[in-house]
Amino acid sequence: MTVADLKKGESAIITDSSSDEIPLKLLEMGCLPGNEVELLQLAPFNDPLYLNINGSHVAIRKRIAALIQIEKQDG
Amino acid sequence: MFNEIVQASLVIIAMLIAALFLIRKYVLLPKSKKASKDCGHDDCGC
Amino acid sequence: MGRQINVALIGNPNTGKTSVFNALTGLKQKVSNYPGTTVDKKEGVCKLPRGLKAHIIDLPGTYSLNASSLDENVVVELLLNKTDKNYPDVAVIITDVENLKRNLLLFTQIKDLRIPTVLVINMADRMKHRGISLNIPLLEKKLHTKIALISTRQKTGIDELKDIIYNYKEVPTEPCLDTSRIDPDYFDSLRQAFPNQDLYKLWLVISQDANFGKMSRKTLEIEKFKTKSISELKRLQQKETIKRYQFINSVLKVGQTVDTSKATGLRARLDRILTHKVWGYVIFFVILLTIFQAIYDWATIPMDFIDGAFASLSHWLKEVLPSGAATNLLAEGIVPGLGGILIFIPQIAFLFLFISVLEESGYMSRVVFLMDRVMRRFGLSGKSVVPLISGTACAIPAVMATRNIENWKERLITILVVPFTTCSARLPVYLIIIALVIPEGRFIGLSYQALSLMLLYLIGFGSAIVSAYILDKLLKIQRKSYFVIEMPNYKVPLLRNVAITVVEKTKAFVYGAGKIILAISVILFVLASTGIGRQFNEAEYLVRMEVAGENLSEEEIETRIASHKLEHSLIGVAGKAIEPVIQPLGYDWKIGIAIICSFAAREVFVGTLATIYSVGQDDEATIKNRMKKEINPVSGVPLFNFASGISLLLFYAFAMQCMSTLAIVKRETNSWLWPMVQLVFMTALAYVVALIVYQFLK
Repeated sequence: MTVADLKKGESAIITDSSSDEIPLKLLEMGCLPGNEVELLQLAPFNDPLYLNINGSHVAIRKRIAALIQIEKQDG
Repeated sequence: MFNEIVQASLVIIAMLIAALFLIRKYVLLPKSKKASKDCGHDDCGC
Repeated sequence: MGRQINVALIGNPNTGKTSVFNALTGLKQKVSNYPGTTVDKKEGVCKLPRGLKAHIIDLPGTYSLNASSLDENVVVELLLNKTDKNYPDVAVIITDVENLKRNLLLFTQIKDLRIPTVLVINMADRMKHRGISLNIPLLEKKLHTKIALISTRQKTGIDELKDIIYNYKEVPTEPCLDTSRIDPDYFDSLRQAFPNQDLYKLWLVISQDANFGKMSRKTLEIEKFKTKSISELKRLQQKETIKRYQFINSVLKVGQTVDTSKATGLRARLDRILTHKVWGYVIFFVILLTIFQAIYDWATIPMDFIDGAFASLSHWLKEVLPSGAATNLLAEGIVPGLGGILIFIPQIAFLFLFISVLEESGYMSRVVFLMDRVMRRFGLSGKSVVPLISGTACAIPAVMATRNIENWKERLITILVVPFTTCSARLPVYLIIIALVIPEGRFIGLSYQALSLMLLYLIGFGSAIVSAYILDKLLKIQRKSYFVIEMPNYKVPLLRNVAITVVEKTKAFVYGAGKIILAISVILFVLASTGIGRQFNEAEYLVRMEVAGENLSEEEIETRIASHKLEHSLIGVAGKAIEPVIQPLGYDWKIGIAIICSFAAREVFVGTLATIYSVGQDDEATIKNRMKKEINPVSGVPLFNFASGISLLLFYAFAMQCMSTLAIVKRETNSWLWPMVQLVFMTALAYVVALIVYQFLK
């Protein structure tokens, strides 16, 4: 499951962000395995996505979001 | 007579300054700084 | 004393770094360029205790020393080059209380460069709101630094910061991270190959494609050291990032406590409305309309004032100075030329005022978020919104505003299409032609004339968008989806920051465009008042002979003479020369002259026409009347009729004439290719459209 599959308001834990296409800057913003990501808002056409990644509020495009693997946390 | 000479000279000087300025700005090639550094060629994240 | 030290202000965007810079330097700042780049260099001076002066550089906001844009590159290059005269004696890292974890990433990187590094935690006033409390002494110990907790909003902590900077020699310089722990084997071999270089600096040079002082990647490669592949390097960078965050997390765990029950959700609540799928756009649209309305309404008062002032100055000069060529140049060429530039200051300043407020408040990021998808369909980016809006004041600051678009293709396309938007300088031309050829009458409450103006604005935007679309398909440049925008917390804009921004950007316009316009005005004026041959030199005699029978006042005769001289001046000759080319568009040589002159600045078109039609410069109503009566010698009908009027309007809508814009495009794209493409394409487009329209409508 990837970030692009999240529904508004849902959170999950990042499991893999090693794709080469993910800009380093995003990783440095906190998009690293083990960190939490929450989908805050979606623009029309689900693009871009406004996320809370590890406390950083950022917006990224769907194409990149689809490369970030996540795992839903239960409870 | 004197006035006319002064006036004409001032105009010519002004013309020259303006022309030189424009030539410098438009005709002179950009100082070859890291011209290859301009975004789009290397992977500076663009 | 008079000793001076270099202080570098570094930090993430949106941390209030600029506010700190402003608070430290007051108005003693200057903006220039980093040599060889288009990045703004902001410097200022701050007086520290006991006569010590701090030369402060406000480096571009950056998230990490792993540079991903030109701006960020500048930061790394400075910090790795000890021989640079701006190399800092002390680095001050600005962070903000709400994003401390992420901000500290950059802090740890800089600390590893072994420069005395001070940590500033800004926005202290928000700590209570968010339920955050910090153990400063513990943080200082664990981070090996001195901390200043400040609030630029409430103006606290600045003096403490100055003290810490003054005592910079007491700030520890041990690094936070042992670089070799990223990959012990690799770094071990690096250490053996380059025993004299600092490991972390080596790593920075290797992992990025940039030139740092004496160490460059090429030199290292020449050393035939086996540097790794790009994706391997990226993996190591990831590891480094993970290790840094591990360190930061361990520090914050003991140094910071957050009472989550206290966090207020203002940001979330505002976002819900402002990024709403429907309301978000509606609100943005309303804000846009308000801005335009305000700009055009509020700006007219100061504009009229400036207009009047320069006209008076012109008259006064003619009376006071001895008459002659130079006086004329000054009073009728230079002064009106200057006036023509300065008159746009109100509009431009207002526009920047609004944009700056929207950016400082944090709202602009939401706009980018809303517009990105739509813009991308046309080859643009969400970040192209600000340049496109700015273009309605003037294309020059608009092109400069494209600097924050990371994606080169999107940035290039934005730069190329911005000149299509209707800039303020075209308004005088539009207004007079519309008044001449658009009939009276209303359509659903709005006059035809108002509707025509709106239509022209829409054509401007429309052609920008369509061109962007075409360029996107045509240009074979790689286009990645690299787009990351931080959505900062909403805050009330700091007046001081806004004011300084407005002043800086307006200055950029005045000096940038101003010099070029002035130079061209001088040349055109001289060309327009010089002529060879009998017709020109004996103009007065000839005209007086011609009008001997008519009973004209002295003033009318004067203006006739002026018109005759213009007709036979060098410019007049040029105008007649291009007449065959522009005749199919419905123009004659008089309009030809005006078009040539408006190469300096579009609005010169109107003034030139006034001269040609022997009208006093300040008499707008009479200009219109005079133009109405003008008959086209070829067709026999009024020159300014519906067909030729529309043709002229569309010509100005599409023509790329502004020399200043071409200059700035050349600067920002670093080559002559693109401005030439713009010039050729847009002029051709303007010509063809005007031609078709005229032939069709006549």
